[in-house]
Amino acid sequence: MPILSTILWLPMAAAILLLVFPRSAVNAIKGLALIASIVTFFFSLLLLRGWDDAQAGFQFAERIPWIPQWGISYSLGVDGISLWLVLLTTLLTPLIFLSQWDAVKKHPKEYFISFLVMETAMIGAFIANDLILFYVFFELMLLPMYLVIGVWGGANRIYAAIKFFLFTITGSLLMLLAILYLAFQHSHLGGTVTFDILELYGTQLTPAAAVAMFFAFSLAFAIKVPLFPLHTWLPDAHVEAPTGGSIILAGVMLKMGTYGFLRFVLPFFPDTSRAYAPLLITLSVIGIIYGALVAWVQPDMKKLVAYSSVSHLGFCVLGIFAMNETAITGSILQMVNHGLSTGALFLLVGVIYERRHTRLLADYGGLGRTMPLFATLFVIAVLSSVGLPGLNGFIGEFLILAGSFQASPVAATLAATGVILAAIYLLWLVQKVFFGPITNDANRKVREIAWNEVAALVPIVVLMVWIGVHPNTFLKKMEPSVKKLMTDIGGQRGGDVQVASSTQPAVSR
Amino acid sequence: MIHPLLEPGWMQAILPELILSVGGILLCLVAAFAPRAKEVLAPLALIIFIATAWAENLFVRAGDYFGGTYEVSAITLVFDLTFLLAGMLVTLFGRDYLERENIEGGEFYALLMWGTVGMMMMAKGLDLLIVILGLEILSICIFVLCGYHRRIAVSNESSLKYFLMGAFATGFILYGTALFYGATGSTNIGIMAWQFGRMQVVTPLTTIAFVLLMAGFGFKLALAPFHAWAPDVYQGAPTPVAGWLSVAPKAATLIALIRIFHAMAPLLGEGKDTAAKVPWMNMVAVLSMLSMIVGNAVAIVQRDLKRMLAYSGIAHVGYMMIAMLTVRDESVAAIAVYTIVYALMNIGAFGVVSLLVKNENDPHTLDDIAGLGFRRPFYGLALAVCMFSLSGLPPTAGFISKFYIFKTAIESGHTTVALVGILASIISVYYYLRVVYYLYMKEAPEAYAVEPAGGVFATGALMIAMVGIMAIGIYPTPLFQAAGEAARRLLEQ
Repeated sequence: MPILSTILWLPMAAAILLLVFPRSAVNAIKGLALIASIVTFFFSLLLLRGWDDAQAGFQFAERIPWIPQWGISYSLGVDGISLWLVLLTTLLTPLIFLSQWDAVKKHPKEYFISFLVMETAMIGAFIANDLILFYVFFELMLLPMYLVIGVWGGANRIYAAIKFFLFTITGSLLMLLAILYLAFQHSHLGGTVTFDILELYGTQLTPAAAVAMFFAFSLAFAIKVPLFPLHTWLPDAHVEAPTGGSIILAGVMLKMGTYGFLRFVLPFFPDTSRAYAPLLITLSVIGIIYGALVAWVQPDMKKLVAYSSVSHLGFCVLGIFAMNETAITGSILQMVNHGLSTGALFLLVGVIYERRHTRLLADYGGLGRTMPLFATLFVIAVLSSVGLPGLNGFIGEFLILAGSFQASPVAATLAATGVILAAIYLLWLVQKVFFGPITNDANRKVREIAWNEVAALVPIVVLMVWIGVHPNTFLKKMEPSVKKLMTDIGGQRGGDVQVASSTQPAVSR
Repeated sequence: MIHPLLEPGWMQAILPELILSVGGILLCLVAAFAPRAKEVLAPLALIIFIATAWAENLFVRAGDYFGGTYEVSAITLVFDLTFLLAGMLVTLFGRDYLERENIEGGEFYALLMWGTVGMMMMAKGLDLLIVILGLEILSICIFVLCGYHRRIAVSNESSLKYFLMGAFATGFILYGTALFYGATGSTNIGIMAWQFGRMQVVTPLTTIAFVLLMAGFGFKLALAPFHAWAPDVYQGAPTPVAGWLSVAPKAATLIALIRIFHAMAPLLGEGKDTAAKVPWMNMVAVLSMLSMIVGNAVAIVQRDLKRMLAYSGIAHVGYMMIAMLTVRDESVAAIAVYTIVYALMNIGAFGVVSLLVKNENDPHTLDDIAGLGFRRPFYGLALAVCMFSLSGLPPTAGFISKFYIFKTAIESGHTTVALVGILASIISVYYYLRVVYYLYMKEAPEAYAVEPAGGVFATGALMIAMVGIMAIGIYPTPLFQAAGEAARRLLEQ
């Protein structure tokens, strides 16, 4: 059985099936969506069973010609870089359905259809081995997200939805032009007409063209990550999006950006990436510190978590452009970590918002006494996000900082302050919400977290501990692919020295 | 043989035109002698359209007819089918619209058919005079169709505007043709091409002729800066007619222009970059970029859906003109694909607007579709699909066709124009998305809800449009093959 196609199209098939369901059959709609997403998750677990730890290239590859005249094919495959991101996607979707079971009152049918379409699009973008196929899925995920923010969002949802869409599409349309140019150059220089990623790796480009295309691709992915100063759409989108939208946006969609850097930017333009790594490292360090400082002063919980995303994803980009094995491994792991911890935080913020209809820190205090179970889960998620040793965040951040210290000690040192700042603003959040006396009477009797919400959080917490205690389960499967990436982009040593010399004269290894 | 200009098989060559002409007369007669049998008119018109498509596929043989003035080939087949598709969709939407407005008559469908005959002549003419003849047949049908809602003031205004402006445009085209005749001694495109090949130099006379011709055809295409009529005419014309007007005549004009540009290839510096030869194409590039920018920028401020679609149409012609900058088989195929896709998505969009019940003198604003997506999910979804396709988002056909255009632009070295096109499409996303925003994210004001009304005909047409858009978007290979093959044969001559 073509397992990747099954995982890819199952949610879409369920979405199409849901179209014919009557609007009134709310429970049937929710049930079908949940079952479809759980079945998808179990199918994606089959990937682990058939996984070959030693192989670096794409596994479970499928390939059917799609538009043969242009060398476009329906070509799928996963490697160590995308494996965990696919699993993250298939895990988070059923958890969202479970936790949002009662939360969606308005047009539930369209809500569940949107998320299922989004799941297909996100999985597709991670497993597509053809640039055009990737582009199709990359764009396809915008439409349901636009609807999710715009229809089910908060008061200022229209502004946020349009801003989100326009920011993203600007980057991706310029990237489309670069994709076309890249394929054209490839065929022009005697190669075949193709959009296959593997065949396009190593296309010879003139320096000017490489720089232009590097920036076109980087812009698209930097907007998606989002990298400072292109991050302004993110807080708006997160604050206005419904809880499920925020979880998927932070949990998976932002990773499209970092994944794109790893899959396309580094291997297509290795020399240009090395030359401009200082720029991207600088921006990501600014993002880390700026995001943390802005998060610190947020009066609104959701905005705080949104800015913490800016900060945390800065680490991922830093790790990628440190361009050595340790940092890139850490970066991939950190993408998964961020998906788990920030996904959990958005879910928890959604839980409390649904009960109290406010997200302002000032309205809370002493919740630890009224909602002990909720408080416990919240603190675990916060500690994971802070990077407490023993939980997942620590491993990722440690690997990134260790790797990027080799590349640029100054950047790594500055980035490390982001970890400290994260501890400050997140623990500040915990203190304000859960400890102290109950100042607001509305907080005296708040309904405790419901069973379905707990059920959605348990797998996340288990994974946080698992990654924290035994990261090797995960790292082992990434290792060959990351090693291969390093050889593809011209060896890690050369890369390190050059980056170090261009940012920072000191410290040779 | 009866006459030296009538080759054997000429009857079969113009069989589609004959069926449509006779069919139109038949419809008029039915309407005149059986005034009660109104409900048979639209089905009869559909049968005639389908019969034409069937006859075209089965009986028509490729070749040059009427003394080398009339070409029947694979590419004319592709374009004829596009015209017939547009005619069929507009018949379907028109049926429900006319019935609701109580103005149904056989002439409406007959004029659509005769207009289609005119377009077929434009697509097949190897002589500029045949092209102009076709253009005039088409234009007269458009004048009448625009004013078809004759008790409504805006409809009359629309008709008069198109008539006055169109007369000017035809004058320009005729004058340009006359000058080309002076320069080359013929109006036959083949002989003109041979003469251009001998000339090798652009004289002021031919430049003036080219400018006049481009102005005239630019008017028919609603290419900026000759676009000013389009929003007014579309706004006033009966909505299904506006949909037809925004698609089919443009397709016919484009194929005629392709032939002319191809004939001029020796003067346009194909392959050689002689400085003196470039300016003509630079002019076309400027028109294309201007159209994309003006069309998309002005569409942003439109609240009237028909005017918005008019400006979006101006921008889309700009995209199509990108492919005209270098006439190669790929770019011809790109234009053929684009027109088919454009017919589906634009007539589909106009079709949904045509279903909105309100006084036809009033504008159809964005407020009229507020909340439509949840009130009438099918119409909402159809309009949303058309909008996504118009903005060029995958996996719709709009993405594939735009992709094709930009691909040919990059391959023929027009990177700057492609970049402008990409930036213009970013602008366009804003106003197309605004329609989706009104469909799904805005509640209709209670007292002011405009209900759409449509029967099986409109539903059928929307199904055709949606299925077509998605099918071409997901599996475009057969269409590309057909268009590519047809384009190659056209340029081999």
